[in-house]
Amino acid sequence: MSSVRVQGLTKRFGNHAAVFEVSFDVPTGGTIALLGPSGCGKTTILRCLAGLETPDFGAIEIDGEPVFDRDKKIDLAPERRGLGIVFQSYAVWPHMTVVENVAFPLKVRGMGAAERRERAAKMLDLVGLKGFEDRSATLVSGGQQQRVALARALVHEPRLVLFDEALSNLDTRLRQQMRMELRVLQERLGFTAVYVTHDQAEAFGLADTVILMNNGAIETIGPSRQVFLHPRSAFAARFFGMNVLEGRLLETQADPRYLEVELSPRLVVRGVAAPEQDLQPNGRVLACIRKDAVRVYRPERPEDATGVIVAASFLGAEEEYLVDVAGVQIQTIGPASGLEKGEPVCVAMVADEWVFVR
Amino acid sequence: MSEQGGWAQRRLPAAGVAVGVILIAGPFLATVVRSLLVWRDDSPHLSLGNFANLFGDPRFLSAATNTLIGGVCTTFFSLVLGFSLAFLVCRTDMPGRKWLETANLVPFFLSPYVGAISWIYLLAPHGGLLPTLLRTHYGLSLEWLNIYSVPGVIFVLTLFYTPYVYLFVTPPLREMDASFEDAARVHGASFWYTTRHITLPLVMPAMLSAGLIVFVTSAGLFDVPLALAAPRGIRFMPTEIFAMVQYPSDLGKAAAFGMVVLAVTVMLTLWQRKFLAGRRFDTITGKGYRPRTIRLRLPAKIAALTLETIYVGGGVVLPTIVLLMVSFSKLWTGRFLWRTATTANYDYILTKYDLTRTAIGNSLFLAVAGATIGVALAVLQGYYLTRGNPKNRALMETLLSLPLGIPGIILGLGFLIIALYTPLYSTLSIILIAYIARFQPFATRNVTAMFMAINPELEQSARASGATWKQTMRHIVLPLLKPSLIASWLMLFVIFIRELGATILLYAQGTETISVAMVVLSERSSGYVAALAVVQLVMLLAAFIVFQITRSPISQRSV
Repeated sequence: MSSVRVQGLTKRFGNHAAVFEVSFDVPTGGTIALLGPSGCGKTTILRCLAGLETPDFGAIEIDGEPVFDRDKKIDLAPERRGLGIVFQSYAVWPHMTVVENVAFPLKVRGMGAAERRERAAKMLDLVGLKGFEDRSATLVSGGQQQRVALARALVHEPRLVLFDEALSNLDTRLRQQMRMELRVLQERLGFTAVYVTHDQAEAFGLADTVILMNNGAIETIGPSRQVFLHPRSAFAARFFGMNVLEGRLLETQADPRYLEVELSPRLVVRGVAAPEQDLQPNGRVLACIRKDAVRVYRPERPEDATGVIVAASFLGAEEEYLVDVAGVQIQTIGPASGLEKGEPVCVAMVADEWVFVR
Repeated sequence: MSEQGGWAQRRLPAAGVAVGVILIAGPFLATVVRSLLVWRDDSPHLSLGNFANLFGDPRFLSAATNTLIGGVCTTFFSLVLGFSLAFLVCRTDMPGRKWLETANLVPFFLSPYVGAISWIYLLAPHGGLLPTLLRTHYGLSLEWLNIYSVPGVIFVLTLFYTPYVYLFVTPPLREMDASFEDAARVHGASFWYTTRHITLPLVMPAMLSAGLIVFVTSAGLFDVPLALAAPRGIRFMPTEIFAMVQYPSDLGKAAAFGMVVLAVTVMLTLWQRKFLAGRRFDTITGKGYRPRTIRLRLPAKIAALTLETIYVGGGVVLPTIVLLMVSFSKLWTGRFLWRTATTANYDYILTKYDLTRTAIGNSLFLAVAGATIGVALAVLQGYYLTRGNPKNRALMETLLSLPLGIPGIILGLGFLIIALYTPLYSTLSIILIAYIARFQPFATRNVTAMFMAINPELEQSARASGATWKQTMRHIVLPLLKPSLIASWLMLFVIFIRELGATILLYAQGTETISVAMVVLSERSSGYVAALAVVQLVMLLAAFIVFQITRSPISQRSV
């Protein structure tokens, strides 16, 4: 059974459609990430799920119960949807202690003081805030406020928990740690989770299914690995930081398993077409390849070199290069190897890694 | 928020706004209609006769001229004094600036009418404390200093309106990013050049807003001209309207005068909103350093403290001393003698005299009830103005803030016209309604600012946690608003305790307030008036002290 079912969701702000005819399902206990650049409509979808925004068209079901249906004039108030939510700002109430914040969902559900304190304390223990119960909520650090917000979103065992850029305000180290903890917590408690994020690492790290949003519509939806490895559009390829190069599809192919695309008169690459692409022989196509699928190394003999380093940027564990191959500039990323600007190099590209889109 | 948020969420804030709009529209329409009606053969006719009558009256021209001169001069002096005091307190190492920071605000809480009569006791040509003191001890004559004059009115008004400017200018001066000034200094500007060309222009929008408010409200204030100008037949707008309502009254002409004032104040207010609102600079970046403190050298320190002494002395200390002296004297003759000191005045007004005892009770009732209702309305209106239907917000905000500039006596006139045709005439209710209509927008403005500082996600996460709108208001919104609710309540309390301009037109026997009783008694005994003024002063200072205690720096920033 689906925990969340969204159908034909449309939300306009004035004349601008922030979300246009979006449909998707999340299975019970599943995790989904709405990924995309700012302004793509992902937060609007989340707010429609929470009941904080009223959609113009469409229907939303949570656990089989319609919470919004324009045609049937159903629109449950946020408090009647039985959710938990974690905001980017944490929205921890500054006039309450940590435990008062966490126990609030239980309080409004009429639970007695002693029992709700016990449950809140248990939840605080679970998120690693044991002993913080009676601190003022504003006196704990950002990372701890984040955990307070998380505990508050989970304490009443909601069927669905929404995360709005929940990890974005944390520093890198803390973010990685929270990502792992959240994953563990989600699997342990088994709640359905919807994450909204602009950070691909967060999306892939947290969710089984990723929806890539573009301009209010779904660009790609699928299992995390597939969405990342097989982009279906130039937008997706660019969003995931791939090389996107313009070329021409050749009519004749040496190997029937591969298509061949000419990027420059002296550079032809082999690869596969992304699904559902209508590629015309001799037509213009976009060839995409991940930066880490291109390798550069020092040739054993100078005459073996196939490219020249144009720019090098040392990132620590890795190094990023811009390399010129037969007049085409390609970005690569790989282990720091100390190649220098102007140095002739060998460039290796695996055929399976090239993906062609229109 | 969801548009389907239930009955309470949709209706209550809108109802609060509707009440506010009715409270403005009612007296406004009453004044318009009445100004256009002329009675002939015992029946009303539509006519511009009242306006012709008004403009043809030489007293109108003289009242308008004096009011304009008074308003402009008061505004100018208040701006200079307010900016200087704010600068000294916020940006220099003047000794005692922590204490003076509060002292400069005290006149804001005091009654201008009491201030004016204290200055009569201090400076009256015959029987004034200062002239008597100087004559008997030093043989100096202060005869040339006449408090009953236009400059006298300007002097007292300036004392009371300086804190308005001070309050407006302090935040930008204090929180301005230091890099604005530091950049000027590093690039070669002197301190004075920087102050003139960087600091002053940056606080100019605040100065202009403050100046406009001071002009509109000081020109419309009834209290000071009543005490200092009316006794010598010097005409000001508010006292002239008051005179027109007295027997033999000409309500039509008063309404016509009211229309002229309304037109001017509404135009000025709208102009302020339109042009000044867009001129605000973002001087507070949230980053960077606070401005540096300027170290004063000795002569500058002496000059600064002299200015502070004159202001706090003239606005607070001297009036309080003279009030106490007069209130403990059997007969005030310009000097206080310990051996004739008596508490008879207090005894009389507190235990024996029905008028003053009723007045004190009425004032307390009006202040407590008015402040409570006013704050409740402010919460609903503030909610609507920050979280309600975005299409109507701007218009409603403009409408609801209109009374801020309208003189109390003009609004009182509107309610008087309404009251004459309803059972509300000569009741406490009509005074209460007029108070709320005129001054409640202050509370709305306060509460709205606090609403804007509260991240809506704090409420949304409560709703998502399962709280209804009412539960969210009770557990989240109201506790977060608390500092501003207390401040607003106290502010309304203070304003209502001392209000005179609207009350003077609406009171009847049995519904007098403290301020009205002082006016009534001023013909009879300065001792009773002074004792009553001290009682009022105690109430106002109590409110001020509670205000200072509750104005704790927590919660405002962390929201």
